[in-house]
Amino acid sequence: MVGLRAGSLALALFFSVTSQTHATVFAPADLTQLVLAARAIVHGRIVDLRPQLTDDHRRVDTLVTIDVATYLKGDLGSMVTFRVPGGELGRYRTVVLDAPHFGVGEEVVLLLSARGPSIPYVLGLTQGVFRVAPDPVTGERRVTPAPLVREGADWRPVVRGDPARQSPLLTDFARQVQSILGAQR
Amino acid sequence: MRRWHVVYFFAGLLICTATTPVVAYLKFGAAANGRTVALRWAQLPVRYFVTDRGVPGVSTVQLQNAIDRAFRTWQDLPSSAVTYQFVGFTRAEPFDDDGIVTLGFQDRPELEGVLGSTGFVIDTFTGAIVEADILFNSAFPWSVSAAGEPGQFDLQSIALHEVGHLSGLGHSLLGETELTSGRRRVIATESVMFPIAFSPGSIEGRTLRADDIAGISDLYPDGNFLARTGSISGRVTKNDRGVFGAHVVAFNTRTGALVGGFSLTSSGDFAIAGLDSGPTLLRVEPLDDAAVDSFFDESPPVDAAFGVTYFERLTIVPGGGSTNPVEIRVRSQ
Repeated sequence: MVGLRAGSLALALFFSVTSQTHATVFAPADLTQLVLAARAIVHGRIVDLRPQLTDDHRRVDTLVTIDVATYLKGDLGSMVTFRVPGGELGRYRTVVLDAPHFGVGEEVVLLLSARGPSIPYVLGLTQGVFRVAPDPVTGERRVTPAPLVREGADWRPVVRGDPARQSPLLTDFARQVQSILGAQR
Repeated sequence: MRRWHVVYFFAGLLICTATTPVVAYLKFGAAANGRTVALRWAQLPVRYFVTDRGVPGVSTVQLQNAIDRAFRTWQDLPSSAVTYQFVGFTRAEPFDDDGIVTLGFQDRPELEGVLGSTGFVIDTFTGAIVEADILFNSAFPWSVSAAGEPGQFDLQSIALHEVGHLSGLGHSLLGETELTSGRRRVIATESVMFPIAFSPGSIEGRTLRADDIAGISDLYPDGNFLARTGSISGRVTKNDRGVFGAHVVAFNTRTGALVGGFSLTSSGDFAIAGLDSGPTLLRVEPLDDAAVDSFFDESPPVDAAFGVTYFERLTIVPGGGSTNPVEIRVRSQ
């Protein structure tokens, strides 16, 4: 592990133009790992959210349905329903920290996985969610967060505020995914 | 259906208490009957159970001991009044809606890539916590060794992070990672609430930092914490408009303490509390390398299109008080 330590850490952290982030306690993954692990990568719009008790009646999940525009990997049909943990039923709300949140009409790219014939789920909670929104200046559709991916073998810090790492256009993101998949074949 | 309403507390608080900001890091809040209340335990100690099931390499007793050490690390802080009590072992499962606080291992396929996770059940009428649970993903190799073990994640470190959530703290951005082809790892953090774990074998996540201590002490203040510490408030703006979701870091140049917070209204208001008194440097950076869902729930869109910016002068934080509001102007990328 690179050696920022003890007394120097605070200063180093503060003054270096670096930093990073993610959710609950994650084993970190980059886009390549996520793309390869996903059973399907789907782009589309959320059309339905349905909280319900799980089959064993022990907890609450929400079934989310997406109207598929395109698949970047796999094919699960024109409408896909997947499960996210948590939801609100009656007076009580079950919240699983770092579970992704969706709104009807929202445009997203999702990395979905599944075990066996079960209902798909989003890979790694929020790690498998990329939002699509128009660029405020050009109107072109961009994907956020900017995916983290590195080609070289050496370690490079993830620099927050790095102008070279902007949210990609949706078309460029799709190309990036295809490139990862192509390199694997 | 409405989206989750676990909104972070400050937005409402900032509006309501313009002259007395008392927030830092991220504290959870819950929408209840049209108002936002801080998500915190009203009754202490928090009584918890541990599942009577270990995993390879970690017995039930070792699981309980590691969890106990994590709880004690938070509880032993002199500036915080939070307390916890182990009740016993249980056959109940984490994340079951059963009214008890349960921690334990569980195999949850949809939590792929997630070492640990915390969940709450909240009464939407009152905003009260009905229960909270923590699971540790049994798909990963775990260690309870005092010195850590190569290739295995340190259970105590992950428990410390999750207990922070269970107590009402959200994620901190005070950390740094690096990438190589197909891999990402943590270089260093200044908060156990940083959301990415150290590499397997590391036990660096067992120690609370200034940001964690400020957070838990702000939620459950004890001793002279409120009298001893101060706060900074202000706005982050870009082209004269407020920036939502900017990460603001306060660095005390005398003590070296780092405490982070966010601008939490569409006007760009921020407030960081629990700060050591003395000269403090402010830095603002965009939340551009993370899933926004890990930090904010229902919110205006996060503006991450700006460069890292330092406030132009040192700010003197008074003990027991607050600075005059500052405005930090950032520039578009």
